Amino acid sequence: MQQKTAPMMQTVGLLAPSLVFLVLFTYWPMLQSVWQSLRIESFGSDEVTFGLGNFQRLWTDDSFQQAALNNLVYALGTIVPGIVIALALAVGLQEATRLNAALRAIVYFPVLIPLVAAAALFSFVFLPGIGLLDWHLAKLGMAQINWLGNPKVALWSLIGLTVWKNAGYYMLFFLAGLQAIPNDLYEATRIEGAGVIGRFRRVTLPLLGPTFAFVFVIALINAVTQIDHVVVLTKGGPSDSTNLLLFYIYQQAHENLDYGKAAAATVVTLALLLALSLTSLRSLERGVHYES
Amino acid sequence: MLNWKSTVAAATLALGLAPAAWAATEIELYFPVPVEGKLASEMKSLMERFNAEHPEIVVTPVYTGNYDETAIKTRAAMKAGNPPAAVIMSANFVLEYQINNEIEPLDPLIEAEGMTPDSYIGQFWPALHRNAAFAGHVWAAPFHNSTPLLYINADHFRAAGLNPDAPPATWAELVDAAKKLTVTDGTNTTRYGFMLPGGYDYLGWIMSALAMSNGGEYFNPYYGGEVYYDTPSMQGAVQFVDDLVHVHKVMPEGVTEGKAVSTAFFAGQASMVTLSTGSLSFIRENMKDDYRVAFMPRNLRNAVPIGGASLMMPKGLSDEEKAASWTLITWLTSPEISGHWSRFTGYFAPNKAAYDLPEMKDFLTQNPDAQVAIDQLAFAQPWFATYNTVAVRKALEDEVQAVLSGNKTAAEAVKAAQATADEILAPYVAQTAFKLQD
Repeated sequence: MQQKTAPMMQTVGLLAPSLVFLVLFTYWPMLQSVWQSLRIESFGSDEVTFGLGNFQRLWTDDSFQQAALNNLVYALGTIVPGIVIALALAVGLQEATRLNAALRAIVYFPVLIPLVAAAALFSFVFLPGIGLLDWHLAKLGMAQINWLGNPKVALWSLIGLTVWKNAGYYMLFFLAGLQAIPNDLYEATRIEGAGVIGRFRRVTLPLLGPTFAFVFVIALINAVTQIDHVVVLTKGGPSDSTNLLLFYIYQQAHENLDYGKAAAATVVTLALLLALSLTSLRSLERGVHYES
Repeated sequence: MLNWKSTVAAATLALGLAPAAWAATEIELYFPVPVEGKLASEMKSLMERFNAEHPEIVVTPVYTGNYDETAIKTRAAMKAGNPPAAVIMSANFVLEYQINNEIEPLDPLIEAEGMTPDSYIGQFWPALHRNAAFAGHVWAAPFHNSTPLLYINADHFRAAGLNPDAPPATWAELVDAAKKLTVTDGTNTTRYGFMLPGGYDYLGWIMSALAMSNGGEYFNPYYGGEVYYDTPSMQGAVQFVDDLVHVHKVMPEGVTEGKAVSTAFFAGQASMVTLSTGSLSFIRENMKDDYRVAFMPRNLRNAVPIGGASLMMPKGLSDEEKAASWTLITWLTSPEISGHWSRFTGYFAPNKAAYDLPEMKDFLTQNPDAQVAIDQLAFAQPWFATYNTVAVRKALEDEVQAVLSGNKTAAEAVKAAQATADEILAPYVAQTAFKLQD
């Protein structure tokens, strides 16, 4: 009996410090959000009822649907190119030469700039007519583009900025993943007569499976939680075309003082994020392990 | 908190240790910086001066971002039970704090000084009264105020054969001048005749100026549950903006943020722009070309909304804090300080007496552009303030942005904006206009 409790106590003891903070600052606020999302209050009355009214109002809100759709486009638009570019960079720069080390540092540089500062920088890059982007495009004879002020373009401008900012970060994970692939596998395929593309497809890609799953989860969380550039550059405009879920929540809570709707949107976003993360993490644990 | 402080104070007294400084009331002032310029450091040195002149009070100025962020931080501090003693709040947000029963009326403090609420508010320009005094009480003291102005590039005017000293006074003249000032290179426009800021917040303000110039009112200044979006005056204003972009092609399509508008003006890529008087000092310092300042052009009448901020006092203060806050508010809105801040920022001084001071008279002689802003005050109107002001404003802004981008007509836009706004206002309307009051 005693032999059993001792390691148990040890585990609890070791976990306790971080558990306290997790409970206080993560799980407790999550529970509070759920609680708040079910509370229905109305202006001019102290009466509180409980139910799904906030969720009903959320579903019928065009702005929420727009924000959810935008966030989907934003997630796909940042994750797919982000991962492709990061992988290409990692494969290209995997040999540990001095030049590669310098290039890796250059590619990694945008990661070091806080997103809010990068957004402030890009407010000048994106200036129509005068900004860096239009200035160079004009030399190629292209017309001015209102990067942030055209509702059809604005979200893609933010996507471009995000890919620029994050590709270097994801590259790091792929570099680490590539180091873990044993060299004899490559030698074996070479003896079998596989070319460069064959080796990439048959060895590199499958063995990077866990890295893909991991980077996907990180990128997904980024796509939902990192919205500094929305705040700095567009405030969700023009006409809600760059509104993302987290900014929508912020607007409901702080601009409209509609805490019920904000909490409902938080719960929906969290549920989506949890479901997607769990699925990809499970696939990370299953199936994608290869013995060399 | 207070009990702890007073216990310590009592203990200090009992021990006979009371130094002169302990009695000082410590308060916080939340202040926003809404426009470009070095306003934060100037506010800090003003507060150092106040503290030196008032040994019995220690004010800590807390920079709280722009107007919207200041409102958020003020609410958060109130919820946490630690409200600042005074806040420089966007003048049109004051109504919401009153609706939600979150601020103190200033009447008792005014009366304690032997003034009546009417005589107190009478010190300020008439256009400012409605956003500060309503529902039978004075709720705020105007601190710095603005109106939209038309800024023009005088060099461009001369080059286009126009007289910079007779800037466009009507919408028709504006269109005419803008056409002459626009420069195209093939299909590409290299210089726009006119630009207005199309981002959230600024756009709503400019649209209310245009609707007012078109004979409208934008919102009901006596009741926070009504806006006039689906009206001929607003539809005409939206149509005017639409035509500037898509018919006359003198304004860029899509949204141009306020910062991009001022940058384009400095770079000579926009010949006329509408911006706040609050940007006047910034433009004076950064504009290399010769420029002029003029009234917002009219269609049916000269009219502009006010903008700017007022000092208000949250609920939940002790009597000492209230008294200290009132001393600070009175000092900040005095003719001398009001005039000083006005000269530094470009905002006009809300206190009329500021303009009787010799340093203000000198300043206006040297900077006639600042005089234009004062003259336009005769035509100024209250600033839109409703229940849920920001969301109601955004309802219109989203639709006008769609028009600017060529996705909707003016008629569709005002109809949709009205529907969204009415939906947001509905809970308030249900409790006020649709309900018999006690």
